[in-house]
Amino acid sequence: MSTVSVSSVRKNFGRVTAVKDVSFEVFPGEIFGLLGPNGAGKTTTIRMMLDIFEPDGGEISVFNGRIDEAKKKRIGYMPEERGLYKDLQLEQTLVFLGTLKGLAENDAKARLEGWLKRLDLYDHRQKKIQELSKGMQQKAQLIATLLHEPDLIVVDEPFSGLDPVNTRLVKDIIEEQREAGKTIIMSTHQMYQVEALCNRIVLISNGRTVLYGEVSQIKREFSGNAIVLEGQGDFSNVPGVLEARRQNGAWHLALNSSVNPQQVFRHLAQQDGLQIERFEIAEPSLDDIFVRVVQEGKEAEEVRYA
Amino acid sequence: MRNFWLLARHEYRKLVSKRSFLVGTLGFPLIIMMVMAAGIFIAIRGDQNTPIGYVDNAGLINTAVVPQTDEDETLLPLRPFPNETAARQALTDQEIQVYFVIPADYRRTLQLDAYYWQDDPSSTVVSDFNAYLRANLASDYPASIRTRLVEGPDLVVRSADGSREFNSRNIFSFFIPFIAAFFFIFVVMSSSGYLLQVVTDEKENRTVEIMITTVSPGQLIGGKALGLLAVSLTQVVIWVLAGVVAVFIGSFFIEALRFISVPWSLLLVVIFFFVPAYAFIAGIMTAIGSAVTELTQAQQIAGILNLLFLLPFFFTALFLANPNSPILVFLTLFPTTSFITVMMRWGMSTVPLWQLALSWLILVGSAMLSVWVAARVFRTGMLRYGQSLSLKEALTAVRSRS
Repeated sequence: MSTVSVSSVRKNFGRVTAVKDVSFEVFPGEIFGLLGPNGAGKTTTIRMMLDIFEPDGGEISVFNGRIDEAKKKRIGYMPEERGLYKDLQLEQTLVFLGTLKGLAENDAKARLEGWLKRLDLYDHRQKKIQELSKGMQQKAQLIATLLHEPDLIVVDEPFSGLDPVNTRLVKDIIEEQREAGKTIIMSTHQMYQVEALCNRIVLISNGRTVLYGEVSQIKREFSGNAIVLEGQGDFSNVPGVLEARRQNGAWHLALNSSVNPQQVFRHLAQQDGLQIERFEIAEPSLDDIFVRVVQEGKEAEEVRYA
Repeated sequence: MRNFWLLARHEYRKLVSKRSFLVGTLGFPLIIMMVMAAGIFIAIRGDQNTPIGYVDNAGLINTAVVPQTDEDETLLPLRPFPNETAARQALTDQEIQVYFVIPADYRRTLQLDAYYWQDDPSSTVVSDFNAYLRANLASDYPASIRTRLVEGPDLVVRSADGSREFNSRNIFSFFIPFIAAFFFIFVVMSSSGYLLQVVTDEKENRTVEIMITTVSPGQLIGGKALGLLAVSLTQVVIWVLAGVVAVFIGSFFIEALRFISVPWSLLLVVIFFFVPAYAFIAGIMTAIGSAVTELTQAQQIAGILNLLFLLPFFFTALFLANPNSPILVFLTLFPTTSFITVMMRWGMSTVPLWQLALSWLILVGSAMLSVWVAARVFRTGMLRYGQSLSLKEALTAVRSRS
């Protein structure tokens, strides 16, 4: 049974439609990626899911029904707009937030000690939040999200502001939560993190679900739409290519769905100024898929309004 | 409900532990104590039991006639002098602190002269010498008339229904409703001012999104409002206690303070009007705090609105001259001014029952509307980081479904 079920939800703010038609389900024991470009409607969808906004249409079910005060205690939420009480001490703030989530004060203190030690914040527990570095505040926010051991964890850009060591630490913690059977929804623009962590994803663009399913399945479906090239010349302006980028001396080209690698190869072979040394059909990265789906969605939208 | 109390306790502890709270709370009683100490000093200074001298050219004072006093009260001793030269010499030698010269035609003119060095004689000196004069002037009359003449008139003004009474000996009691009005408007406005700050802080700190996925907006604002109200009440209780102690101590030295009586019927007004008045202004402050992005912006808007609540104090003269004037009746019914106006009129007049009932109903209705509007503006405005709600957007939020 799904932990979260979002079905054809819609939300308007005055004349602006933030979410037009978004659907997905999330299950226990998985890390689910909620992806999309800026302004696509991800945050609004999360806020509807958490009962901050009421949807104008569609249905949302959390823990098998409408969200209520008791269910809120089973949720840990780390919003994109981070914030803790700046003029309060770290320990005092986290204990207070833990008690609001239903923990007894002593339990909150006992659990907090372990988290503070693990995240290297124990020596800073008496400091005011405003005295902590951005990375420390980010880790404190993660503790506030997990201290009450929630069943559903919603994290928005969990790695922003973290150095590689702490990124690894947070990644490990998220994976631990999955192994413990928790449901995790992660929204991020860091596609390599999604590839590394997420079982399934939904991609929202312009307020609609444009891609939804298992990461491995999606990558299989999009294979053949990306090529890796090595050679002499400029490969950045090839017809039918959505995005061309250079990486480690090789060109990575994301192809439009209307062209295939053979057509691109033929075109390149006819160009006098270009010399091909390596031509390889690549399994697309999520990054490539993201760019392609979003750009094609934009073009389709422009055609619709033209 | 648990979270409601947790939030209230959290806000209370957070503010009470701040140094500014301690300074503000203890500073006011210190000022009261200093004012009272200054009053006592003025009342008793120079007395030190140094006698009062007099030269009686009218043959008025018989030293055998002593004014009646309370058991624990002693009058400064009198010392007669045959002429002004002798009295002046005694004053120079500091044997007396002042001398009065009663002229031969005193009974006709009722004028006499006082001689002293630099500082005016204290009120005790004047009142003690007056007591001797009165006692001697009235000594020829029968005992019952003498007592009345010496003690003077005891004027009591009582309302027709007997519910209100004003005693001429009780001059400070006259001002108690004004002082109470000041205290309660302070509680209401400081608590709502704190609330404004707290709501804006939640937005500025970006904590609001976590909070409302943990508690309902009603619990969040309600819990904070209660905690902040408790902070202001704590301040006022400390101040009132300091005032009571000061009056108690001062009453040993300042006669007028002994006759203060509290108009307990005023408590009824407080019981009925306080909660809706606070809810009304708290709702307005929450809506302002939710709609803007910065505290300074919120304070500017709130500052203008505060004037609407303080309006009755600008009409203080009218309260004294004509407490039932149409302007004050209007202020009694107007929701921002009703609480204070009713309290201030309470000391001066009898407020008709229909005005009290209508005023209370309008205030309760306004409070409910204010809280309802605040909840809607809060839901829309709380997540608008770095961007204020326009008036149009706020009105749309009020009309919208969620």
